[in-house]
Amino acid sequence: MTLDDTRPAELLGPAPEPPPEEDLSPSEWVRIRLFATWYDTLFTLLFGAGFVWAARALIRYLISADFTILRVNLALLMVGRFPRDQLWRPAVALILTGLLLGLLAGAAIGSARDRAAEAGEEFSWDGWLAVVRRFWPILAFIVLTLSFTQTVSPWLVAAATLAAGAFGHWMGRTIPAGVRRYSWLIAIALLVAAFLVLITGGVGWEDWGGLQLNIFLTVAGIALAFPLGLLLALGRRSSLPALQGASVTYIEFIRGVPLITLLLLGAYALGFMLPDSLQPSRTTRILIAIALFEAAYIAEVVRGGFNAVPPGQVEASQALGMPPWKTTRLIVLPQALRATIPAMVGQFISLYKDTTLVIVVALLDILAAAQASTSQPDFLAQGLHRVTLPFVGLAFWVGSYTMSREARRLEKRLGVGER
Amino acid sequence: MTNTSVFSDATRVKGEPIIYLEGVDKYFGSFQALKDINMRVGHQEVVVVIGPSGSGKSTLIRCINRLEKHDRGVIRVGGVEISDDIRNIQEIRRETGMVFQQFNLFPHLTVLDNVTLAPREVRHMPRGEAEALAMQMLERVRIPEQARKYPGQLSGGQQQRVAIARALAMQPQVMLFDEPTSALDPEMIKEVLDAMVELAKSGMTMIVVTHEMGFARAVADRVVFMSDGQIVEVGTPEHFFTNPQEDRTKLFLSQIL
Amino acid sequence: MIQVVALAAIVGVLYVLWFNLINNLKRQGITTNFAFLDDPIGVNIAGSDISSGASIQRGLLNGIKNTFALVVFGLPILTVVGVLVGIARLSTNWLVAKAATLYVETLRNIPPLLVIFIAFYVLVLPLPPPNQAATPLGLFVISNLRISVPWFETVEQTSFTWFLVAAAVVAVAIMWWRSRLYDQTGQPHHRILWGAGAFVAIAGGAWLLLGRPVRISVPTVEGRVVTGGLGGLGSYFAMLIALSLYTASHVAEIVRGSIQAVPKGQTEAANALALSGFQRLRHVILPQAMRIAIPPIINQYLNYTKNTSLAIAIGYAEVTLIAFQAIGNGNPAPQLILLLMAAYLAFSLTISLILNLFNRRLRYVGR
Repeated sequence: MTLDDTRPAELLGPAPEPPPEEDLSPSEWVRIRLFATWYDTLFTLLFGAGFVWAARALIRYLISADFTILRVNLALLMVGRFPRDQLWRPAVALILTGLLLGLLAGAAIGSARDRAAEAGEEFSWDGWLAVVRRFWPILAFIVLTLSFTQTVSPWLVAAATLAAGAFGHWMGRTIPAGVRRYSWLIAIALLVAAFLVLITGGVGWEDWGGLQLNIFLTVAGIALAFPLGLLLALGRRSSLPALQGASVTYIEFIRGVPLITLLLLGAYALGFMLPDSLQPSRTTRILIAIALFEAAYIAEVVRGGFNAVPPGQVEASQALGMPPWKTTRLIVLPQALRATIPAMVGQFISLYKDTTLVIVVALLDILAAAQASTSQPDFLAQGLHRVTLPFVGLAFWVGSYTMSREARRLEKRLGVGER
Repeated sequence: MTNTSVFSDATRVKGEPIIYLEGVDKYFGSFQALKDINMRVGHQEVVVVIGPSGSGKSTLIRCINRLEKHDRGVIRVGGVEISDDIRNIQEIRRETGMVFQQFNLFPHLTVLDNVTLAPREVRHMPRGEAEALAMQMLERVRIPEQARKYPGQLSGGQQQRVAIARALAMQPQVMLFDEPTSALDPEMIKEVLDAMVELAKSGMTMIVVTHEMGFARAVADRVVFMSDGQIVEVGTPEHFFTNPQEDRTKLFLSQIL
Repeated sequence: MIQVVALAAIVGVLYVLWFNLINNLKRQGITTNFAFLDDPIGVNIAGSDISSGASIQRGLLNGIKNTFALVVFGLPILTVVGVLVGIARLSTNWLVAKAATLYVETLRNIPPLLVIFIAFYVLVLPLPPPNQAATPLGLFVISNLRISVPWFETVEQTSFTWFLVAAAVVAVAIMWWRSRLYDQTGQPHHRILWGAGAFVAIAGGAWLLLGRPVRISVPTVEGRVVTGGLGGLGSYFAMLIALSLYTASHVAEIVRGSIQAVPKGQTEAANALALSGFQRLRHVILPQAMRIAIPPIINQYLNYTKNTSLAIAIGYAEVTLIAFQAIGNGNPAPQLILLLMAAYLAFSLTISLILNLFNRRLRYVGR
C-alpha cells in the first residue's frame, strides 16, 4: 500500500507567479477563436471576406445615397398628415412622455436605494453614462433623425424632451417615499395629458400618422387588450365549463388567423355589425381589431404567468382560510402578473412591428408614409426605396432591440424561472 | 476486448501508481481551486477523498478525466499524460469510468441503451456482445430487470446503480465517483453503497469523493482529507478516524461525526 | 350564477352583432348568403390562368394554391437556414458566431412586412424589365416580373419512374443490411453513404440505359417569352426569400436555446464515456435538444403560414389578396372575410393537432 504521496511544495521548486488567467493572449485568441482547425480557417476566410464586402457596400451606399427624400418627408414619416400648424401638439406630448419615462426610471432607482438603505447595504446609481450605454440605439436614431431636419425647432423639442426626462429622473429619485408610491398615478396622469394635448383642438386621431401612429396603435392596442386578455385568461382557468369553453374558443380562433384578416374585418365588416348610431372612424375600427387580436395573445401570456405560480402558493393561502377569489386576487394574480412582465414586453415588441400591417387598410403609418413618399412626383421611380426602407427599418430596430434587451435585464432581475 | 487497454501490464502490479498527479494547480478565474496537488493511486487501490464543500475534491477527480482542464502540473493515468491532445484525453477517458452526483443518465434512451451506447460507439462492440455485457453489469448492480425501462421510471438509487453499470460497461481500469450518494434519499443510499463496496472488493481501482464515513472506514485503503484546494492529510482509515494529526482534519471530523 | 350571467352577456353581444350585420346587409341590398361565389371575379390574376371571367370560388381556390406554393418551399428553407444559423451562434469560431448573431439580431427586430418590402422594392423591382431579361451564366432568366431557374424536364416518364422506385427499394435494403452488419460486428455502418451510393448508381445507370429520359431544362428568353425551366413571379420570390429568412431568425433563436437547454451534465457524462464530439452531438445532445425545439419550431411554421397573408402588400395573388380584390369589386366583405379566416383556421388547427400528437410522443417516459 502506497501511503502519503503529498510531497512538500518546496521540493517542486517555487510556484511560478502570477496564476494563469482564463482569458487568452491576443495571439492565442486568434489561434483558438479563428484558426483552430482547417475548416475554422476556411470559415474565417469566407466570413471575413463577406464582412469586408458588406462593409464596403455599406460605405459606398452611405456615400452615394441621396437622403433628400428623407429631409423633405421627415414630418410625413414622423406624424403623417397631422396639421402642420398644430405640430406643437406632438412636440408637447413628446416632452410630457420624456418627463413620464424619466420620472418612472428615477422612482425605480429611488425605491431601490431606499430598500438598500433599509437592508444596510451600499447603493450606487450607475449614472448617466450607463443610461446612454443601455439606450444608445434609440439616442443614435434620434440624432440621425434630427440630422435630417431643416429647421431648428425639432432640435429644441429634442433638447426639451431630454431636459424633461432628466428633470423627471431627478424628481423621481428625490421625492420622499410617501409621494413616490403614487408616481405611477402621476405617470398615468402625464400619459392622459399627452393624449389630450394630441386629441384636442380639432385634430382627431384620424389625422394621425407616421411613427406617431405606430406608437399610438401599439400602446393603445395593448392597453385596450390587457383587460380583455386578463378576463380571457381567468376564464380559461375557470372551473365553469361554459366560461372556459368560450375563452378557449376565442383564444384559439384568434391565434389561428392572421392579423390581416382581423384588420380587414375592422376595415370592411365591423361597420355592418354596429348600429348606425355607433359608427366609429376607420382608425378606431382598426384599433378595435388590433385590441381584439392582441387580447388572445395577452391571455396566453397571462396564462403562462399563472402557470409560473407554484401550486404550493394556492395551498398555503387556502390553509390560511382565504376564500378562492381572495386567493386569486391577493396571492396568485400579483405573482402571475410579475412573472409575465418579460413576455408582455415581447408581446409589445411584436405588436409594434405588426402595426406596419395597417398599410393594407389604408392607414398612413411610417411604412405607408415611406411608400407614399417614393411615389411623389419628385421622387418617383428613382429606386429611392433603398433610402426610405432602411430608415423605417432603423426606427423599428432601435425600439425592438432596446426593448428586448431591457426585457432580458428585467427577466434576470426578477429571477423569473429560477425560483 | 480488454486487450484494447492502453495500459501496459506493468501497471497491473498492485501498488504501482495507475494515477499520478504532481504539482497540479487549477484556477477558476482568479480563484485557485487546487493548490499543488500531489497524489498517486496504485492498482486496485481504493482512495476516499473527504473534505468540506468547496475544498476542491470534485475538481480534483474531474481533472483526472479532463472534465476540467488543470492549469499547471502533471497528471498521468496509466502512464498516459493528459495534454491538450484530444487523442490522449480520449484514451484516458476510455479507461476511467465516472459516476456523477446527479446520475446524468441519458433520459431519451432506455437503461440498456444507456449502458450499451459507449461500448458500441467507442469500442465498436457488436450489439449482441454489448447487450450481453450490459446485462452482466446490470446484474452486478442488481437491477437486470429494469433494462427496458427509461431512466425517468426509476428511483434515484436505481438510476445511480445504472450509472455505475454504464461506467463499468466500458471495462475501465479506474472508477471515479463524484459524491455518488449526495443526491439520494436516505433509504436509497445503502443500495448504491453496497454496489460500490462489492466493486471495491472485486479489485477495482477507485477514487471516491463522498461524505459517507462508514464507506471510507469499510473499504478505503487510504483516506485523503482536502481543504481549501490542498491535500491536508493522508492516511489509513484507522489512522484517520482514531488519530488525526492536523487541526483542520480534527475540526472537520468533529463537525460531521 | 356567474356562469349564467357571463354566458348571457356573451350570447347577448354576439346576438346584437349578428342582428346588426344581417339588418345592415339587407338594408343596403347586399346578399347575406354565399351564392356570390359563382359570380365572375372581375380581375385578371397575374401568374395564373384566372381571368376576370372566372368565378370567385375558382379565384379563392387558386389563391389557396398560391399560399401553399409559399408554404411548401418556404418551410424547408427556413428550417435549414434557422438550424444552421442557430448552431453557428454557438460556434467557437468568433467570426462565424458574430455573423450569426448579426443575422439574428438584425432580422428579428424589424417588421416582417419591411423585410418583404426590401426584398421586393430594393432587390426584385430594380431587375431588368421582361424584354431585357438578364441571363446570368446562361442558366437563369431574371427579370423584375419573372425569375426562371433550371429544372428537370421529363421526356419519357413511366419506365424511368419504376427504375427510381426500384433504386429507392434497393437503397433501403442496403441501408438495412449495413445496420444489421453494424449490430453484428460493431464496424461503422456508413449507411447513408451506402444507400445514397446505391441509389445514384442504379438511377444513373437506368438514366443512361433509357436514353436520358429526364433532362435538365435551362430557361431561355426570346423577346418577352421565357421557355423551359421553372419560373415564378418576382413577387413570389420576394415573398419566399424575405419571409423564410425572417422566420429563420426566430427558428435560429429556438435552436440555440434548445441546445443550451440540454443540461451540462449530459455533455459531461458523454465526455466521461469517451464519446467523440460528433457522437456526443448525434446520440446525446441533438436528440434531447430536438425534443425541446420541435414544438416552438412548429409554432414558427404556423406564424410563417399566417404571415404569407402579408403578400397582399406586394400584390402576390395568395388567398388573402384574392379575397381583398373580390371585396374591392363590391362583393360582400363579411362572408369573404369569414371564408378567409376559416381557411387559415383549418390550417392552423390541423398543425396544432399534429403538434399535440408530437408532444405526446416526444415526452420522456417517466413515472
